[in-house]
Amino acid sequence: MRSTPTILATAAAALAALALAACGSSESGSSTATGSASVLSTAGYQSPATESLSGKRGGTLVVLQESDFEHLDPGITYAALDYPVVFATQRPLYSNKPNSTEPTPDMAASAPEVSADNKTVTVHLKEGIHFSPPVNREVTSEDVAYAIERGLNPNVANPYIKTYFNSLEGIEQGNGGPIKGIETPNKHEIVFHLDESKGSFVAEALVLPLTAAVPKEYAEKFDKNKPSNYASYEVATGPYMLKNNAEGKVLGIGYVPGKSATLVRNPNWNPATDFRPAYLNEIAIKLGGSEPVIDRQVLEGTNIVQNEPVPQSGVRLAAEHYKDQMDISPGGGNRYIAVDNKVGPFANIDLRKALWAATDRDALDRARGGELVGTVATHFIYPTIAGFEQAGGAKGLKVDYNEHPEGDMAVAEKYIKLAGYPSGKYTGSKPIQVVGASSPPEKEDSEIVNQTLKNMGFNTKLTLVEISTMYAKYCGVPKEEIDVCPNVGWIADFADPQTVLNVTFNGKSIEPTGNVNYGQTDDPKINAAMTAGETVVGRQARATAWAKIDDELVEQAAAIPFDWEKTPRLEGKDVHGVAMIWNEGAWDYSFTSLK
Amino acid sequence: MSARSVEVLPSDAALEFLDFGGDVARSPLQLFWRRLRQDRVALVSLGFIVFLIVIAIAAPLVVGALGLPGPDVQNLNLTDAFGSPLGPSLAHPFGVDPLGEDVMSRVIYGTRVALEVGIIGTLISTIIGVAVGMLAGFYRGVTDTLLSRLMDVVLSIPILLLGLGLAAACSVHGCAKGLIQPGLGTIIFIIALATWPYVARIVRGLVLSMREREFVEASRALGASNTRIMFREILPNLTAPIIVYASLLIPTNILFEAALSFLGVGIRPPTASWGQMIAAASPIFTTAWWYMVFPGAALVLTVLAFNLLGDGLQDALNPRNAR
Repeated sequence: MRSTPTILATAAAALAALALAACGSSESGSSTATGSASVLSTAGYQSPATESLSGKRGGTLVVLQESDFEHLDPGITYAALDYPVVFATQRPLYSNKPNSTEPTPDMAASAPEVSADNKTVTVHLKEGIHFSPPVNREVTSEDVAYAIERGLNPNVANPYIKTYFNSLEGIEQGNGGPIKGIETPNKHEIVFHLDESKGSFVAEALVLPLTAAVPKEYAEKFDKNKPSNYASYEVATGPYMLKNNAEGKVLGIGYVPGKSATLVRNPNWNPATDFRPAYLNEIAIKLGGSEPVIDRQVLEGTNIVQNEPVPQSGVRLAAEHYKDQMDISPGGGNRYIAVDNKVGPFANIDLRKALWAATDRDALDRARGGELVGTVATHFIYPTIAGFEQAGGAKGLKVDYNEHPEGDMAVAEKYIKLAGYPSGKYTGSKPIQVVGASSPPEKEDSEIVNQTLKNMGFNTKLTLVEISTMYAKYCGVPKEEIDVCPNVGWIADFADPQTVLNVTFNGKSIEPTGNVNYGQTDDPKINAAMTAGETVVGRQARATAWAKIDDELVEQAAAIPFDWEKTPRLEGKDVHGVAMIWNEGAWDYSFTSLK
Repeated sequence: MSARSVEVLPSDAALEFLDFGGDVARSPLQLFWRRLRQDRVALVSLGFIVFLIVIAIAAPLVVGALGLPGPDVQNLNLTDAFGSPLGPSLAHPFGVDPLGEDVMSRVIYGTRVALEVGIIGTLISTIIGVAVGMLAGFYRGVTDTLLSRLMDVVLSIPILLLGLGLAAACSVHGCAKGLIQPGLGTIIFIIALATWPYVARIVRGLVLSMREREFVEASRALGASNTRIMFREILPNLTAPIIVYASLLIPTNILFEAALSFLGVGIRPPTASWGQMIAAASPIFTTAWWYMVFPGAALVLTVLAFNLLGDGLQDALNPRNAR
């Protein structure tokens, strides 16, 4: 899971084995995101799912961006805001087209080959891909090997390598030097040897930017620094590069922290090797300012876009006056009310169902900004992720507590009675702990949930803290025994349904700190289904298997999903912006063009 | 106030009055009231504060009489398609907040929190301050040194940071085995802790000079105990400066509560607090100005009223200190 402005927890738990049919099958190039029309529909606004990918060549795009980048080094980057620059400059082995959540070979020449025992993954590289100046030479498999190896260098410290590549032979000993399990038989072939049958899982993870080639002889000296300053000198393989000088220095030239970043064309990029059209000549990113002001500048300006979550005022301004300058992307993750399945009143399944029934999901979504930024959720696998349709699509599982998005106290009372409270109101006197975030819209959602709990008879203690504190100190720490976290969410790193459900609801993934199984769901039946689901092969079969687990979670009312997020972005009058449906609707600079 | 204390009240006050009216038979309270009555600004402020107190006490009645919903009645139907709250209307004169809660109702209930914190917090810090100040000033020596250093130590604590820290650390489970819980109690405690040394310093200074005065010596010669001297001789003479200082402390404390609530560590929602409303309103000011303007105005007017009344009291009680 990537860190985003609203979700800061990282998956500390290692993901278990995942057997997948080789990704990047022949139809992947033309595939589009998963989701029924109603949920993917964006009420007449542009959507990356339907956006035309053609455009006019040339011009400079100005990007106004309030926040600075976290990391532009392909080995470290893990934030939605960094990805637009990273994916315009770097080519991982596989990438997502902006309108797709299924990978396309990028640096790779073809789909990965997974051995029959699921323990070896072989990838062939395209020929004729060169690094940008000053390195200039052709990319080889050793550069990909080094890119992954350096992820274990403590000076680089990639945040997810141990989660997705933990089955690589010798990864435990890795410290930046060669990893035993990565072999490069020739210049255009790389082989991953695993000590467990997780080949398909590793194959799927090759879409992560960690697999973007890094030239060892050039980067090594920077990686010796603590922390590595390769980003200040980084070279590109994509259509664009951060502007640099003859020595390759980017810092202060193509990237001035807190001020600007400038992407120019990579002279060594060969369009014949890439699916990216790269219409723009230059992307000038200006850092700083304030989002509400930026929104106005963008909507009234030309050649200009913003690239961060749009506050309510901006969505409203665009909807009322600049309707065709807003692009709304579905698939921005799910949001749900986490309830403690292990300790306290919500260990009782009927009380969980009662809360589900009583929750006014319409109101929660309204407080988040209404239909343009979210859809009422009825289960956990969200639109654009495989398995969404199989899990019931927009309607979800047909159970009485899931049928009334506006909340139904009668159904709630039925379940409260089933839980052993004959009056239909909860009568336990011990106050329950509710911890939410203090910033809008999480603040509003927390207060709505708090009120719902009170209406059900609970004596609540609501505390609102900073969102990072909420995850780090309370909702992610089981021993704090927080009964209700009204506003947690999850965004998958790639579109396999396992990445949505496994760490978040698998009993095996519960951690003492940094826990992301917020409700400590630990149901033997669900755990077993997940273990089986990890080894299912084939995209369709996997979608079905994990959709069943999703159904099971709904039947258990493991948590109460209320929102599938949509993310709007704003563009200037003459910009044909193309957003990445797989990356929270951030603009794809390699596909965006000027009209 | 005893007749004897007339002679030790600022004697100019009595003289001034003598010159003025030629009637010596008035008590200090009467003198004070006569002077305050002439201060229109202070009177209006006093009237406003009385009005606030009535509103705070009778909040449910006031809200009911105005036909407004309760302060924590959520109604998301009062937000538009973008989730923005609707503005002032006949049914909701101050508009609603993003949860559809009535802003006027919340402003009215917010008066309770503001006054509770302002008045109770000030009362506690004044009692502690007077006690410590009297002990330090009366006994002098080691007692004075110890207490004065204690005041210095407390004054050196960055109190907003302490408040932030305490409230953050004790926010969910409470601290000191649940003794310190976030919310009104903790806020009042922090405020009392932060402000008593100011009162104590002033009192100490006054007591230091007063204990040398003739009436104290006379009392001592008559065999009065220390306690009697402190409470029967000195304390009545401190009334005027204490009232003035306390009246100026109240608005400071109200602002302090607003600041803590603004920073998210004060009053817990859904309890209405002006500071918290202003904080919640700031990100949506461009779409919902009423959410900030009305609680902001309530805060400004209240603080202004207490400050102006404090000035008036100072003038009325200490006419020598021409400002």
